[in-house]
Amino acid sequence: MSYRRIILFATVLTALTGSVIAEDGNALYEKAAKAMASKDYNTAIPLLQQAVQADPDNLRNASELRQAVLRQTIAAHPKEGSTADFDKDIAFFEQVTKAHPMSANAFLNFGFAYVDKIAAAGSITQVILANTALTQFTKSIELKPTWIAYYTRGNSYLYWPKIFGRAQMGVDDLEKAYAIQKMEPKRSYHVRVYNSLGDGYWKTDKLDRAIEIWKEGAAAFPDDPGLKARLSKKGEDLEKYINDVLDPNKRVDTDLKELWRIQ
Amino acid sequence: MRKSESCGAGDLVAGVRSKRAAARRRQRPPAPQSAVGLVVGLLAFVAVAVAAEEVAGPAWFQDVTKTAGVNARHSNRVFENPYARIMEGYTALGASANVADYDGDGYDDVYVTDSKLGGKNHLYHNNHNFTFTDVGEQAGVANSNDENDAVADALWFDFNNDGKPDLFVVRFGRDQLFQNMGNGKFKDVSKQAGIDSYRNSITAIAFDYDRDGKLDLFVGSYFQSIDIFHPDTPRLFPESFETANNGGGVTVYHNNGNGTFTDVTERVGLGTRDEAGKFHKLSGWTLDLGHADADNDGWDDLYVACDFGTDHFFRNNGNGTFSDMTEKAIGIDSKKGMNVDWGDFDNDGLLDIYVTNITDDYMREGNFLWHNNGNLTFADVSRETGTSETGWGWGAKFFDYDNDGWLDLYVTNGWVSAGKDSYVPDVFKMVTTPNIDFADARSWPPMGNKSLSGYEKKKLFHNEKGQIFKDEAKRHGVDSIRDGRGVAIADFDNDGRLDMFVANANGEPYLYRNTEPTGNHWVQFALEGTKSNKTAVGAQVRLTANGMTRLQFISGGNSFAGQSSNRVHFGLGDVAKVDQIEVRWPAGEKEVFSVPAVDKIQKIVEGSGKRK
Repeated sequence: MSYRRIILFATVLTALTGSVIAEDGNALYEKAAKAMASKDYNTAIPLLQQAVQADPDNLRNASELRQAVLRQTIAAHPKEGSTADFDKDIAFFEQVTKAHPMSANAFLNFGFAYVDKIAAAGSITQVILANTALTQFTKSIELKPTWIAYYTRGNSYLYWPKIFGRAQMGVDDLEKAYAIQKMEPKRSYHVRVYNSLGDGYWKTDKLDRAIEIWKEGAAAFPDDPGLKARLSKKGEDLEKYINDVLDPNKRVDTDLKELWRIQ
Repeated sequence: MRKSESCGAGDLVAGVRSKRAAARRRQRPPAPQSAVGLVVGLLAFVAVAVAAEEVAGPAWFQDVTKTAGVNARHSNRVFENPYARIMEGYTALGASANVADYDGDGYDDVYVTDSKLGGKNHLYHNNHNFTFTDVGEQAGVANSNDENDAVADALWFDFNNDGKPDLFVVRFGRDQLFQNMGNGKFKDVSKQAGIDSYRNSITAIAFDYDRDGKLDLFVGSYFQSIDIFHPDTPRLFPESFETANNGGGVTVYHNNGNGTFTDVTERVGLGTRDEAGKFHKLSGWTLDLGHADADNDGWDDLYVACDFGTDHFFRNNGNGTFSDMTEKAIGIDSKKGMNVDWGDFDNDGLLDIYVTNITDDYMREGNFLWHNNGNLTFADVSRETGTSETGWGWGAKFFDYDNDGWLDLYVTNGWVSAGKDSYVPDVFKMVTTPNIDFADARSWPPMGNKSLSGYEKKKLFHNEKGQIFKDEAKRHGVDSIRDGRGVAIADFDNDGRLDMFVANANGEPYLYRNTEPTGNHWVQFALEGTKSNKTAVGAQVRLTANGMTRLQFISGGNSFAGQSSNRVHFGLGDVAKVDQIEVRWPAGEKEVFSVPAVDKIQKIVEGSGKRK
């Protein structure tokens, strides 16, 4: 599982424990999954859109919809896909959030839809998209301040160049996510906060605190390659590693499938 | 004409400098034939390079700007209109250096531009001893900055084919053409030539696209044809950062051979046709143009670098028209194309392209080093070769500074170096404002004394045998932090070592004298066309020595704000004998010439060789 993912798997937990998947939404998803398996995106996408509209807080349906859009556009437009295709997806989630203004996960996916477009956009548009995604993540937090929402927004802040001064905002969010996870039973995805919070400390020139949180993470997750890598590097090597992790030109993997596996 | 003190190109002899012990050269690996080959080769090479012992030594380039008398400062134009405080960021331009032997004395001279109101351009005559005398005023080419026009660049080209380089001054406003009268004086012939329409030009190149023996003119414009000095609309800025189509585009002038030019932009197809068949000129924010024969078919193709949008690649169809091959050749990009220079960096017999873009903490575009695949497609190998990240890139030039037979690369950079505060947050605050109209100057925050990608160090990339480039700028004393714009390469003292003239915006230029001590051999050729254009722009020269063939060509002003000597220079390493050279003249014929001796400048006249 890539640590470059801004995605917050734990959302799935919220989705699966906090909301009941509507019958018709589930049926629509099952049909869409079959179409996806045969790469029939033209069939899968409308079915998944209907599933999201039927159950806007369901992360699985929303995530699979975004993945279908992504796979379809990259198949048609190699490299990073067509911005117009991503725009359609963004427009869809905008519509969903307007229809369901209290759905925290709809806003979270609305933000992810912007993130999905970033790699296909030019450097300035990337900034605009990332900024707009943050707005949606903030709305999600306002509706439901969950671990996943704080982790998502906090990690997103870390991608911004230092000159924008957003790293400390990222640290603030990630510390909140850390506090939440300390009160929960240990879950595999918690390792993400250890990595990212340390990156945030590093980015705000608190190397000692970064090493401290990475070590704490390594004690809980001794096999995690990200923590091992960070703790094994120093100076320019560490800088290069973190800059590579937080390279905004690389596509962020927003596929939430591993969440189903976690469950 | 000034008297040649020692040896001019016409003598077939040039200053042969004393040779030190022949440099020890490793056997060169075979040049990769494709981008894939390049990358694979790179992996093997990196291991060797890392293991190799670093050899430090004194800097090879000496800053002789002051002693040479070429240290006149460039100043940006200051606008006086309601949008002046916004425009000052956009117009920190106009510093250029352009080399030609305008008086035919065998030594290259250099024309250096200013941009401030009333600012003088300088025609530095080469005194043959690494000092120069500014003869701009008496020559009649000093005064081009007035209330309605600001100099952006210049281009030497022999428009009347008399063998004497004429001077085209590129301006925001209207361009100027000065005819070289041959007596040290120039005459303004802009109006009668028909090239003085209001165009807001920023770059120009000249080559014979239709092989009729006369140099045609390609002019790139940044702003649209609106009066930027007294604008009647605030909507004069790019409408988008990545897909702007409200720029000035490109104009093509066919040389009629009688001192006049005709706008043939539509006739040659440099634009697009809509579904109704209506022709539309290019409308990007052109920053640079570069020509060369990409597929070795004898017809020069064209690369157009655009700020705020897509670069273009046009194939010369060989019938007086071009075809837009952008999507197939280089793909659609959204970067800030700033510079185009062509050169065969891997010695595979195909000319590659180097394009600078913007790479900084807040905008990580990366440059393009387009490796020529030989089939009118290119692969960007800038990351693999280490030439991707050079800050806010400007002019860049291929040249072989250590005469080892591999083209090195000098890259200028830096936008505005001012106060300690950064302009970046201001711009991004605007960028992230919903529904902002980027084209409206009033949307933009004033720059004030803030910096934007300032104080950036220049790059001198040493070509490690076609595989990877290593930055040696610091070692050789050429890593200045002034806001570089253009670079011109010439052997100003005819000693076989290529010197650099770097033009900086709002600052003094640099003249770097090359003193590299390797003792590597070299040879230069001064070509003269007879059937082809007299200055032989577009000629390809293939030199064969020691079992290797290398390609160079004569460009008609490629690269941003810098024009290099039109002599063809080959570094030879420790090879002291050249088997032959083959010249493919712009008119199409190929001739073979012998090279009696190395470490000399040899004159080559079309028709005097052995035809192939």
